[in-house]
Amino acid sequence: MNGTGPSVSRRGLLKGGLLALPALAGSRMLSALVSSPDDAVAAAAAPGTTAAYDPALHDWAFVCHADRCIGCGLCVEACKLENHVPLDPEFNRTWVERHTVTEDGEVLVDSPHGGIDGFPPESTAEGAEGARTKEAYFVPRLCMQCDNPPCVSVCPVSATYKSEDGVVLIDADRCIGCGYCVVGCPYGARYIVPSGEETPIGTAGVADKCTFCYHRITRSQQPACVEVCPVGAREFGDRKDPASPINVALRDDRVRVLKPEQGTEPRVFYTGLEGEVG
Amino acid sequence: MSVHVSAHDLAAVPRAALWAVRLEVISQPRQLKLWLAFLSALCVFGAVGALLSLPPGWEVLGTTPSFEWGILITAYVFFAITTSGLCLASSLGTVFGIERFLPLEKRHAILAVLCLVTAFGIIALDLHFPVRMVFGAVLSPSPASPMWWMGVFYGVYLVFLLTEVASMFSGHWQIHRIACVLSSITAVFAPLTLGAVFAVLAAHPFWHGALTPPYMIFSAFLSGTALLGIVFYCVHRFRLADFERTETVALPALRFLLIIGLVASIVLVAMRVVTGLQSTIPALADATVALIAGPLALQFWIFRVALGLVVPMALLLAPRTRTPIGIFAASCLAFVGIFADRALFVHAGQIVPTTAAAGTVSVPYAEYTPTLVELSIVVGAFAFVALAYTLAERFLDMSPHLGHQARGQVEVTAWVPAPTEGVL
Repeated sequence: MNGTGPSVSRRGLLKGGLLALPALAGSRMLSALVSSPDDAVAAAAAPGTTAAYDPALHDWAFVCHADRCIGCGLCVEACKLENHVPLDPEFNRTWVERHTVTEDGEVLVDSPHGGIDGFPPESTAEGAEGARTKEAYFVPRLCMQCDNPPCVSVCPVSATYKSEDGVVLIDADRCIGCGYCVVGCPYGARYIVPSGEETPIGTAGVADKCTFCYHRITRSQQPACVEVCPVGAREFGDRKDPASPINVALRDDRVRVLKPEQGTEPRVFYTGLEGEVG
Repeated sequence: MSVHVSAHDLAAVPRAALWAVRLEVISQPRQLKLWLAFLSALCVFGAVGALLSLPPGWEVLGTTPSFEWGILITAYVFFAITTSGLCLASSLGTVFGIERFLPLEKRHAILAVLCLVTAFGIIALDLHFPVRMVFGAVLSPSPASPMWWMGVFYGVYLVFLLTEVASMFSGHWQIHRIACVLSSITAVFAPLTLGAVFAVLAAHPFWHGALTPPYMIFSAFLSGTALLGIVFYCVHRFRLADFERTETVALPALRFLLIIGLVASIVLVAMRVVTGLQSTIPALADATVALIAGPLALQFWIFRVALGLVVPMALLLAPRTRTPIGIFAASCLAFVGIFADRALFVHAGQIVPTTAAAGTVSVPYAEYTPTLVELSIVVGAFAFVALAYTLAERFLDMSPHLGHQARGQVEVTAWVPAPTEGVL
């Protein structure tokens, strides 16, 4: 020691550097396999999220007006195009159901191709043939963005998480494709992305669902389904924004949620519903 | 250069090893060669299916968004609980020191390792990103998820089991005793967490509830005991190592354990049906009706109730069938019954659609048919366990360990059928 503090020999420096290289390479490999929570938020918001977007300043909510919906299916089509959802009718971020109440009080539900092509005059549900219809209405369906989401609590690797603005998001780089969230969702709002031409590159095998078009709402745009709806059956807005029409709908209309007994506290509300909707 | 494994010197040079394997295969009895060839062919069949299922999202599986968990999940659950059942049955000898259960020791441990490795293999094929799961479970754990706990317990369980097997064959009895206790404790908690994976899902009332985890434990006990019954009959039939004790001690003990497992299963199946039918939750009542009088009724009444519970019980209780072959038949049927039970459990839980989404609205029940790829993986999994266990039985020293008998004093095994069937 020469009194100038601990010295580092060239050999020691080289040895340390050589040891650090594999460690760095290892950490790079690990980070490629498992992304950090910051990566997750960025990935969900991308592409096109404005840097100024602060999730803590928003509280998104959605109202479906069943009494306005005409079952045209434009929302389903717009969603599929906007979010690269497979065209196969089994895979939907949003879909429309027709609930037909017969004179016997039975409720028949049909959703041919998720409602993307509209609906034929008569219900296609089993047992509908010859049944006398008392009334019928359309129910737009999508992820309920629950405040108490079962899909988040069951995910074994925290790939599904709730953003501060209330939207439940999926980190596609972390999802293992176990399907636990798909079976855990009481609303059937999730699916595992199959491979195919329409699937965004690199997402086959992971869970997917409606995100309120997160890449749009973080740029001050409306979700695609809301934008194309010709009758205003879908309303979207920020509960923290006093000027948002969503607050009027939530305050003035008689809104209800689906499956309240599940305790999921959805932030998608409905008006004009008759009876139970599963 | 050679490696000494049990009583055999195995060549460590690839060419010499291949030659040694060839000579070994040629020297085996014809029946055994045919059996190994048959299992190998099934393993190849399964391997082809496994390779086809590897690309993420490729639609070779029959699952859909409304029926996400198919026969691969059934097979995973079956092998995972069988592993636990093997330990639960054998812990009576290894942990509690009950003499009559001691012959189960070595065979149960090897079977448990094989079943658990097979279970992990199946779940890896069903998951689209298994490597992510390993790293994700460690780097971004989710203690709120029962699936995370299930991974932890079964992962730890595999470590304990491997330690148990290694210490057993290397003669480290102190380590062996500790590993036995730890694996037996984990054998209880692992199926509990597996049951919890289903039990927390309020979206599927057939799975949801406190009854599912104990149901999983008793199913585990019965399937593990049934597998031991099959194996110990083979030990008796082909006069393998320690066959004398198998006839006098192991098989009667297994008969007793099988009766306990069957009684518990009958009670739990009855409870599930009665509570399901009386439930005010429509989805639970609908699923139970589908099970006993709907699309699943045939499988339920034939495979689960008649062949899986009633006939085995009758075989074990009737004086005329209280023989090794009777126990073997009862074990085979109970084993098939538990697999049917797991398949029905997974199926009934999803048969009532959670939503009227496209594809499920026009039929009252969600539909699922396993694909050839899925079936090949399941068949291959069973064949793998049977093949690996046959080889273990043939080449490892299955005689009781030093705590009960000096090593090397047991007669060399022979592939000779037992001459007569005695009443136990």
